[in-house]
Amino acid sequence: MRKEDTVKLISAEGFEFVVDKRAAMVSQTIRNMLTSPGSFAETQLGEVTFPEISTTILEKICQYFHWSLQYASGKESEFHIEPELTLELMMAANYLHT
Amino acid sequence: MTVLRSRVIPPVAAEPSPKKPKRSAEIDPSTPPSAPDEVVGTPPSPSLAPSPDARAPRSGPSLPLPRRSLRLASGARSGGAFEGPLPPPPAPYGSCPSKDEGAGEGSLTAEDAKAMKLGVGWSGRSGRGKKKPGVDATLVDSPGLMSLRSGKSDAKRVGDSGAARGFAESSVIAFEVGGNDAVVLGRVVGEAASKVENKEKGSGSPLVGSPGSRMTLRSAEKGKGKADEHKIIDLVPRASGAESGSTRGKVKYSAVEKGKGKMVKDDNMRSDNIDIIDLELGLKQLGQKLESYGRELENMRSDDSTRATDNAAKQVQTRSKRAREKVGESSSVDIRGRFRDIARQNASRFAHFHPDDEVANDLPAEAARNVNEVPREATPEPENWPGPFSTAMKIIRDRAAKMSSQQSSSTLNKSKSAITWVPNGEGRTRTKRFVPSLLELCLKVLAANADAITSLDGVPDLQRHKLSQLLCDSRKMNKQFFDLLVGGSPTEIRVKDSSWLTEEDLTDSFRQCDATNLTVLQLDQCGRCLPDYIISSSISRSANCCPVLSTVSITGACRLTDGGLTTLISSAPALRSINLSQCSLLTNGSIETLANHLGSSLRELYLNDCQSIDAMLMLPALKKLEHLQVLSVGGISSLSDDFVREFIALRGHGIRELVLSDCTNLTDASVKAIADTCPGLLALNLVNLTNLTDSTVGYLANGCQAIEKLILCRNNFSDEAIAAFLETSGEHLQELSLNNIKKVGPNTAISIAKGARKLRSLDLSWCRNMADEALGLIVDSCSCLRELRVFGCTQISDAFLNGHSNEEVQIIGLKMAPILGHCRVSLPQNPLKYS
Repeated sequence: MRKEDTVKLISAEGFEFVVDKRAAMVSQTIRNMLTSPGSFAETQLGEVTFPEISTTILEKICQYFHWSLQYASGKESEFHIEPELTLELMMAANYLHT
Repeated sequence: MTVLRSRVIPPVAAEPSPKKPKRSAEIDPSTPPSAPDEVVGTPPSPSLAPSPDARAPRSGPSLPLPRRSLRLASGARSGGAFEGPLPPPPAPYGSCPSKDEGAGEGSLTAEDAKAMKLGVGWSGRSGRGKKKPGVDATLVDSPGLMSLRSGKSDAKRVGDSGAARGFAESSVIAFEVGGNDAVVLGRVVGEAASKVENKEKGSGSPLVGSPGSRMTLRSAEKGKGKADEHKIIDLVPRASGAESGSTRGKVKYSAVEKGKGKMVKDDNMRSDNIDIIDLELGLKQLGQKLESYGRELENMRSDDSTRATDNAAKQVQTRSKRAREKVGESSSVDIRGRFRDIARQNASRFAHFHPDDEVANDLPAEAARNVNEVPREATPEPENWPGPFSTAMKIIRDRAAKMSSQQSSSTLNKSKSAITWVPNGEGRTRTKRFVPSLLELCLKVLAANADAITSLDGVPDLQRHKLSQLLCDSRKMNKQFFDLLVGGSPTEIRVKDSSWLTEEDLTDSFRQCDATNLTVLQLDQCGRCLPDYIISSSISRSANCCPVLSTVSITGACRLTDGGLTTLISSAPALRSINLSQCSLLTNGSIETLANHLGSSLRELYLNDCQSIDAMLMLPALKKLEHLQVLSVGGISSLSDDFVREFIALRGHGIRELVLSDCTNLTDASVKAIADTCPGLLALNLVNLTNLTDSTVGYLANGCQAIEKLILCRNNFSDEAIAAFLETSGEHLQELSLNNIKKVGPNTAISIAKGARKLRSLDLSWCRNMADEALGLIVDSCSCLRELRVFGCTQISDAFLNGHSNEEVQIIGLKMAPILGHCRVSLPQNPLKYS
């Protein structure tokens, strides 16, 4: 993957998740951040930080991005969510508009 | 001074007799073919008897003798259609009774007819090519009875033809008694015309609008030989159309005209009709007639249908027959005094005209209302108004006509060829699926594991509501989750189904609730848990304990009474929206409490199915709600046009949403009031109002052009009307339901595609005239469309399902769809809808 095709999502603990741009665009929030006409640091660096989202949650979100792309392309499967994560995941998903 | 012309003139009085020959002489040449002319001069009383009989059975007004006043004749002449042959007048009405009766024809009727004849107002009828108008004129002439009857039929006909320039069935009879100018006025309100006209829901000529009881009295002096003051007073009901509609029941009579001019006129007129009446007999008969009119009016006033009219007319006829019989028998002694008395008796009754609007309505109130109302016109009135709706209707009709002519000329059988839609769904990325969002997935998991949730801290309200909704739908809602919702210091609590909740649980849960931040409380279906005494121990533990509570919904609180509501309101001073649907014990007292405490702040009031509330009784309290934006009174069967009119007149400018579903007494009049006074109306619900006609659609099209949500179901609207409405006022429409509007078809589809581009949700369930092409056109043109409901649309085939190119739309209601999968009630975003 070339650098131009990826974005870096940084969790609260500092973990960096490098994901495909198309995957990150599933989230409306990230899409707006990256495609906004203004010159945000995110746009330039290709990095987005989420101080409120923990690592486990962010990891799950990245997994969801990829699952979503797969689903849209026809490969439908089930996305399993551990119940313990669900509440936080829901709030993070709400924030990210996914 | 003669007033009425009576057929039965000759032997009765000395005065009449000299007139008689003259009159006969005059009459004869005037109306050669008409039997009544021959009748004139025949013996009075016996002749009277048969005439009513002969006339009675007729369904339409049968004019025995086309007698017209000179003036009327002239007016009729100007009227056009009326002119020419006076004789034929009865013809349109079938057999002329006079002809049948022959000699027996009471000149009375003819005379009276003339007397009652309409005046200049008839000119309006010139446009009509039919005979009927002409006949009507004469009919109106018929003596009281006849005129009344004819008036009714007339009015009806007029109404039907839409050319309402009515005849004022004038029932004002003014006549001069004696030689002086003392005129005793008896008013026989010719409500017939008005009544029938007004019945036409909104259609009505100005004439009709005013109780058409205006009669212009004229007196024509007649008889060269008569040195006395006999004057002929023509009772000329002047079409009130010529005059302001609000003058009802006014008797206008021109100054007694005497003199040559009149005579000349009379002479000329006489060729048509002569109104000379033998005074004595005429007066007496007039008196009788007045009585009968009075009785008749009473009947007619309460009648609602033309059928009744006919019956009434028949009754009148029989009565007049009786009257006539009496006439011959009694000797006229103090006719003048008698007339005066009779007139005095009846004048006040007739002075207040009450055109009937509807049967069920209170007549006097309606009358008062209708006085200043815009004259109603015939049902197709909205189409006749100059305005966008009428233009649209015309275009659509022309298009349909063209289409049908094309179809008939073409050999191919093209159904619905009006719509050209080519399925091009192959281009659609069929693979695009609705990927479930992470949020949805999480909520599903949470709902499945709700008992494992320990706290909802930090969860935004919307997610709480969604979770609550999912749990209620799957019947997994329980006290434990309810505690989570209510515990702490919540800002919004929404439970759409609290039927599982018990009184103890409710009390217990609310004990831990700090309601200082609570803005929204929704406990729907709370009948089990919310009687009066629980309110004070749960929600309203203290006065003012919910200081910022602005939205409360306690639907289904079937054990709540007015006292409980008062307690609730006392603890929530900032209340702005309250939903009391299905609270069957609440009475008008609750509305008064609401009005007294919240008159200036309440914005939304939902009272669906509150059976104990009477619409008119709650109206005074309702009027005190100054800023009401949403009024939902579906299912309150006592709702009437009066209620709507009064309330809308006062608060219409602020109303944004009206729900009037299942208020089956409502008619087009209500919608007219709404359309006239609510320019800012955004949402309207007219489900199950079967009395509405296409006029409703016209009014809405012309008056509520900003409408965004229109819910119709089982109304009797036509395809063209809906199509015209959409073209004129569909621009802002976002949600449209045409559920069970069976006539909807290609025209509507074209209009939606052209004029309702912002449509997001469309319900075409049970509209089986919508073919695949129509639906395809709609779906492809309305790019915002997200939801299309087609329950019961068995005519849809794969041609549409696979052929449309709208990627976002969700088609609900076809076979093999998950049951209730569509039942996803969207959660309200804000506590108040329109603020």
